[in-house]
Amino acid sequence: MLPSLVRASHAPLRRLISSFSSPRALSPRLPYVISSGGAGSLPPLILPLCAFSSPSRDSACGSSRGAQRGMGFCARAVDVSDEAPSTSAAAGYDLSAPYLSVRIRCLKQDAEVLSEALLCFGATSVTVDDIADAGNLDEISITSIYADGEDVNSSVSSAASSAGLNYSPVYEISVGKQCDWVATMQETYEPTEVADGLWVVPKWGTPPDPQATNIIINPGLAFGAGEHPTTKLCLHFLLEVIKGGEHVLDYGTGTGVLGIAALKMGAAVATGIDIDPQAIISASENLLLNGLHPNQMPVYLVSTSAQPSSLPNPVDESGENKLINNLDLESSRGTYDVVAANILLNPLLELVEDIVGYAKAGGIVAVSGILVEQVPKVKQIYSTYLDSILVSEMDGWACLQGTRRV
Amino acid sequence: MMAATLKDAAARKPVLATIRLIVPAGAARPAPPVGPALGFYRLNLMAFCKDFNARTQKYKADTPMQVTLTAYKDSTFEFVVKSPSVSWFLKKAAGIETASSRPGHSNVSSLTLRHVYEIAKLKQADPFCKHMSLEALCKSIIGTANSMGIEIVKDL
Repeated sequence: MLPSLVRASHAPLRRLISSFSSPRALSPRLPYVISSGGAGSLPPLILPLCAFSSPSRDSACGSSRGAQRGMGFCARAVDVSDEAPSTSAAAGYDLSAPYLSVRIRCLKQDAEVLSEALLCFGATSVTVDDIADAGNLDEISITSIYADGEDVNSSVSSAASSAGLNYSPVYEISVGKQCDWVATMQETYEPTEVADGLWVVPKWGTPPDPQATNIIINPGLAFGAGEHPTTKLCLHFLLEVIKGGEHVLDYGTGTGVLGIAALKMGAAVATGIDIDPQAIISASENLLLNGLHPNQMPVYLVSTSAQPSSLPNPVDESGENKLINNLDLESSRGTYDVVAANILLNPLLELVEDIVGYAKAGGIVAVSGILVEQVPKVKQIYSTYLDSILVSEMDGWACLQGTRRV
Repeated sequence: MMAATLKDAAARKPVLATIRLIVPAGAARPAPPVGPALGFYRLNLMAFCKDFNARTQKYKADTPMQVTLTAYKDSTFEFVVKSPSVSWFLKKAAGIETASSRPGHSNVSSLTLRHVYEIAKLKQADPFCKHMSLEALCKSIIGTANSMGIEIVKDL
C-alpha cells in the first residue's frame, strides 16, 4: 500500500494526503507560500503492496516489511535518524563537528535538475545563488552540503548522470564547522519590543530602553528569542494574567523566555520543562543572565512520553546540567496558577491531559505554537478541560487560553 | 489564494539564493541540514523551524518533505513545502530501500500502473504541479521508476 503521509487522527476518511493551507503573508518579514492541495482528497484506495524482487536481488527487498522500514533512501540522504528529536537531543550538539560544503559549477539550464538530483544522491541541501546575478555567463555555481564522511565524488557523478548532464561538472570541496553557521545565526537577533515597556534583548545587544523591563536572552539553539508571534502572544497573555505571586509552568520552555518574563512580571516561581537538552542549557543560562536564582526558576528535562518518569532522567551529558529529579515536578502537578505551552499542534493535542493536569482547578492555561487554521481542533479538544476559552491571533498564529474546569 | 504569490512576483524582490533541502515533517531543528544551509544566509532559522514544523503537523512525523526556500536580499524568505520525492514514494510502494545499481539490467522490483496513478494524484496536489496533466505526471513517474530499476506492469 502506498505510504500514508498523513497522521491517522480524527478524520473519518483514510486520506493519503491533505490539502495545504492557503497561503497568506505571516508578516512583512516572513512571508510564506504554500499552495492549496488538489481538489478534494484521494479516495481511500488501499492498494495491495505488490513487490517482487527479481531473482538476482537480495530476497530481503521483497518483503512487505520493507514498506514499514520507512524512509530508507531519503534517510541516507538526510541522516534523518540523527535528526529525530529524541536522538539528537540526547546526543547533545557538537559545535565543532565538521560538514562538507561542495561548490559545483554547471550550466544555468541544468541547475534546477542537478539540484534535485543531488538531493536524491546524498546532499542534505543544495543552494543556487540567484541566477540573475550571474550576468551573461552560461555557468552558475551551486553549493551543496553533505554530512561529514559522505562520498561526495560518487554523489556528484551519480547526480550528474541522473540529471542527464553530458558533461562532468567541476567542483570543489571545503570543510565547514557547525559553529560557523550557529555564530551567523546569532547575529540575526535584535532587541524586540514585545509590549509597552517590555523588551526581549539578545545577550550581546544593548537594551534600547534601559528603564523598561528587559528580558535578556541568549537564544543558543533553543526557541524563544522574542520576535516570533507565538512568543509575543504568550507574553501578552502573561502580562494579562500575572498579578503577582503566581506559580507558573512554562511547558516547552525553550530559552526560558516565558518563565523569565513571568518572574519579572511578579510571579513567585516559574518552572520550565522541555524535552530538549538544548533548552535546559539555554533556559538555565538565561535565568542567570536575568539575575534570577535557580530556586526561582527550576528547569527540568522531561521525557517525550506523556507522563514524565518519576525516576531521575538518565540523560545528563555535562556535569553542569542539573541531574533531573522529576519527583519534585511530579508533586507539583495540579498546583500551578498559570500554565503556558508554546509548542506544536500535535503535542498539544496528545498531551492535553498532561498540560492541563499541571494547572490547579481554576488555574489559567494558554497554548500556542498553532496556526490560526489549527485553532478549531485545539478548541475542540481543550474545551473538554477548559472553560472561558479565548483565542488571540497575530500574523497567522494563534494562542488559546482558558481556565481549568473544577 | 494566489494573491500572495502574484503580489510577490509583481514586487520582484531581489532574490539572494534558492535553497533546496529535505526536512522531516514536524522535526525541523537548528541543525543540519537546516542549520548550515539557512545559517549561511543569515536567515531566521528558528522562525523557519517553528513555521515549517507547524505547517507539517498534518503529515506523519519525519516524512521527508521537499522544501524550496527563496532567500531575498532583504533577509526575508519564503518557502514552499512539497511532498517527498517521487523516488521516495516508489521505494515505499515497492518496499525497498535502495534503487537498483544497474537499472535496465537488473530490476529491483515491480509496481503496477495503479501505484503510478496514486503517486501521480499525490504529486498533482503539490504546489506548482496542478497544471500538469495526470498523464504527464505518470509518464514522468514511470521514467523515474525505470531509472531506479523498478518495473511498471499493468497488473500483478
